[in-house]
Amino acid sequence: MSSSLKYVGNPQAQAVDALDKVMGRARYVGDMTLSGMLHVKLLTSRVPHARIMKLDVSPALAVPGVVAAITSADFAENGAFGWPIKDAFVLAHEKVRYVGDPIAAVAAETEAAATAGVRAILLELEELPVVSDPAHALDEDAPLVPLVPPKDEGNLCESLIVRNGDPDPILAACETVLDETYHFQHQEHAYLEMEGALAIPAPDGSVTIFANDQSPHINRGNAAGILGLAEENVRVIQPPVGGSFGGKDDVLYQFTAVTARLALITHRPVRLLLTREESLQTSYKREAMSLHLQIGMDGNGRLRAGKANLLADSGAYASMTPLSSWRASMHALGTYRYEAATVDTQAVYTNNGYSGAFRGFGNTQSAAASEIAIDELAHLAGIDPIEFRLKNMLRTGDTAFTGNVIAHESGLEKCLLWVREQSDWADKRAQYAAQDDGELARGIGVACYFHGTGLGGEGLDYARATLEINRDHTITLQSGLTDYGQGSRTVFTLVAAETLGVSPERIFMLRPDTQTALETGPTVASRASIVGGNAVRVAAEKISHLLHLAAADLLACAAERLLWQDEQFIGPSESPVSLDAVIDHAFEMGLQLSVQGYWQIPEIHWDFETGSGTPYFTYSFGAQVADVTVNRQAGAVRVNKIWAAHDAGQIIYPNGAKGQLLGGIAQGLGYALTEGFSYKNGYPEKKNLNQYKLPTALDVPEIETTFVKTTFPNGPFGAKNLAEPVMIATTPAIANAVFQAVGVRCRQFPISAAWLREQLLG
Amino acid sequence: MNVSFTVNGRPTAVDVPPKMVLLDILRDVLGLTGAKPGCEIGSCGACTVIVDGEAQNSCTFPASRLEGTAVLTIEGLAAPDGTPNDLQQAFVEHGAVQCGYCIPGIIMAGEALLGHNPTPNRTEIREALAGNLCRCTGYVQIVDAIEATARQRAGVEEAV
Repeated sequence: MSSSLKYVGNPQAQAVDALDKVMGRARYVGDMTLSGMLHVKLLTSRVPHARIMKLDVSPALAVPGVVAAITSADFAENGAFGWPIKDAFVLAHEKVRYVGDPIAAVAAETEAAATAGVRAILLELEELPVVSDPAHALDEDAPLVPLVPPKDEGNLCESLIVRNGDPDPILAACETVLDETYHFQHQEHAYLEMEGALAIPAPDGSVTIFANDQSPHINRGNAAGILGLAEENVRVIQPPVGGSFGGKDDVLYQFTAVTARLALITHRPVRLLLTREESLQTSYKREAMSLHLQIGMDGNGRLRAGKANLLADSGAYASMTPLSSWRASMHALGTYRYEAATVDTQAVYTNNGYSGAFRGFGNTQSAAASEIAIDELAHLAGIDPIEFRLKNMLRTGDTAFTGNVIAHESGLEKCLLWVREQSDWADKRAQYAAQDDGELARGIGVACYFHGTGLGGEGLDYARATLEINRDHTITLQSGLTDYGQGSRTVFTLVAAETLGVSPERIFMLRPDTQTALETGPTVASRASIVGGNAVRVAAEKISHLLHLAAADLLACAAERLLWQDEQFIGPSESPVSLDAVIDHAFEMGLQLSVQGYWQIPEIHWDFETGSGTPYFTYSFGAQVADVTVNRQAGAVRVNKIWAAHDAGQIIYPNGAKGQLLGGIAQGLGYALTEGFSYKNGYPEKKNLNQYKLPTALDVPEIETTFVKTTFPNGPFGAKNLAEPVMIATTPAIANAVFQAVGVRCRQFPISAAWLREQLLG
Repeated sequence: MNVSFTVNGRPTAVDVPPKMVLLDILRDVLGLTGAKPGCEIGSCGACTVIVDGEAQNSCTFPASRLEGTAVLTIEGLAAPDGTPNDLQQAFVEHGAVQCGYCIPGIIMAGEALLGHNPTPNRTEIREALAGNLCRCTGYVQIVDAIEATARQRAGVEEAV
């Protein structure tokens, strides 16, 4: 099939917005300055938990240059927002619940005046006891974090189950049962561009906001509700976004509402840009999670049953943690066959910042825990880790531990075989096993994964796109799905070009603007390529039909007799007419060359009450191998090389897909080794990027990648998902390599040099 | 204080506080927004520009050190007709750009490296980029783009 494709899968395809970015002319929200624009600064909480006894912004208004100051009282319902649990406020109401919680906002002529205004605000807090250890969040005497417990059970934010048979009697009969707990830390998104919003009021009482968010339509709906405006009076436009990785949703909803309210009060443009230190405190993180796994196997190394107990730290607010905890639950025992399995998950409130969406969305922790557990079981069974996986892994038609069938072709075996061969696994494994106890120890480790596609049981998974052919023969494409760097504008452009049979250069894809783009649901869950790509394909098919109508009329023949070749229509007379001529003719006919495409993933059902059903329509798969060197004296881990194979069906934009894979691996490497966003009794311990260590060009090794070929009938040209799953094998592959190198099992992350040195030196 | 220097070859004079940093001068005074803020403490490299041939974090480079210098920013790399230079073009071709926020700084760090060492190996390229964080790409395609540009420039020079 792919041999007939011209634009989709073309290795020469380039990002549609890369030129603007390399020239330095892409205008991010912080690059936009308007005449008369006011600057906003936030008053945020310095303590993890307190009751607001007094909050008076009037002294701020007396500061020279300050134009307005607002609190939760300036919003409908005190600015309450949040989905699926409405437990947060645009600005803190009644209580502050974490260090960095925004309390009030000041707009002023300069940033300095806004800062002075913030300092002048009268705030009296009564500090409350803090709960920082999620393991004690449900204790009877634990301080209550939410204003209203959503489950009527104190700090319980969400509880979830999987029930697939009864694992207990099987575990009792197993030769070996692994029983271990794995602890994963908070992770900061650290998108290089901090959060920002620019609100511009209009004389009619409406407001336009440029916000570097992920899901502009959701942002608009949320802001309209809080501002007490009709949705059509709130317009959210998405400028280029400097990275997101799941991190620019709820926090941007807050700032969009704050800047919009200030713009409406002052009748002036208002911009809020966070500094890095403000961003690190106030923005949400990947949830810390503990996973207690019990997995049993028989004497031949065949997995039989598994039980998982998960505890997620949602922090001060629910944000997306209920949903990422659900995804964690759906992947908790990994991509293997079991006779029976159960999962019990709790997400709890604490005063540790707050947790929300981050690439991998719960499966980052689940895949890491289960892949280390599988490595432990392989070791106990005395079987090579890749052999052990091949023996137990899910194949096409098998039943996952959640009880549903892997309905579409799985590329997992191909991925495992590729990384085994490319990494020279057998030789390295033997060579490293035979090394002496020198200062430097090498090790090689593997991990693999499955990752459910799209929202799954979280909700209806659909997208819309519009295509319009203009009088100048160009084509305008738009979707409400955002491109925050992952390349979706390029993917959609290539899908439209391929479907229409026109050069991508003819197509321009707009960025989302809620005034002109159709509501499209959120840009999350690596769903853009499949769902959005199909919506684009549907729109392109519709417009192709209109063009065939016009060409048939122009050439006076039946549309079925037309041949479309090299951007020309050829009729029975065999003299070709150009696309431009057909477009001109369509306009003369009065055909509106403007269409909408809609597509949704076939509906599946997960029953949250019984913990059974089909969580996802389909899955993507992958495997990675990491080669590491451990310095026994320093405890430092150096990653020498990574081999990565991913099954995403047909690749649409090869350079971009490879970039996703490489970038995901870098984030996984950081999660394994250096990126711990830690809290001490609710106080964050990392202030800036000199303390929160991201992998640099010296830390990320050379990486060999491949995409294995599989068929997926429902994807646009057979494409599956990509962005999230590619990061989740890296952390466990590194941990498993460390085990081979020095025999230390890492069950607590990140694998800091200090911790590893302690394990090695005793 | 009054400081005179050149920006992208153009003589420039500004009257700013001595502690004002080059990043703010470029962005807020001169309207050159290619260099980006990312940490304000010189830890991320998003603000990298070239001052007298050296890559500098403009967020920590004070006006008091600016007198008489030659500053090159991302806006100064393209040809007068707007054609991107070869390194910029290589970033596009190698898929080295995702969100793009770090890219102006990284391209300037790459240019500074190639100015000192026209034929760097991949390790030297990585060392030169160690102060520039990228959260999207994992650096590999960035290294590819700089390496390819170096080879191309060396090849062109040999041919001449």
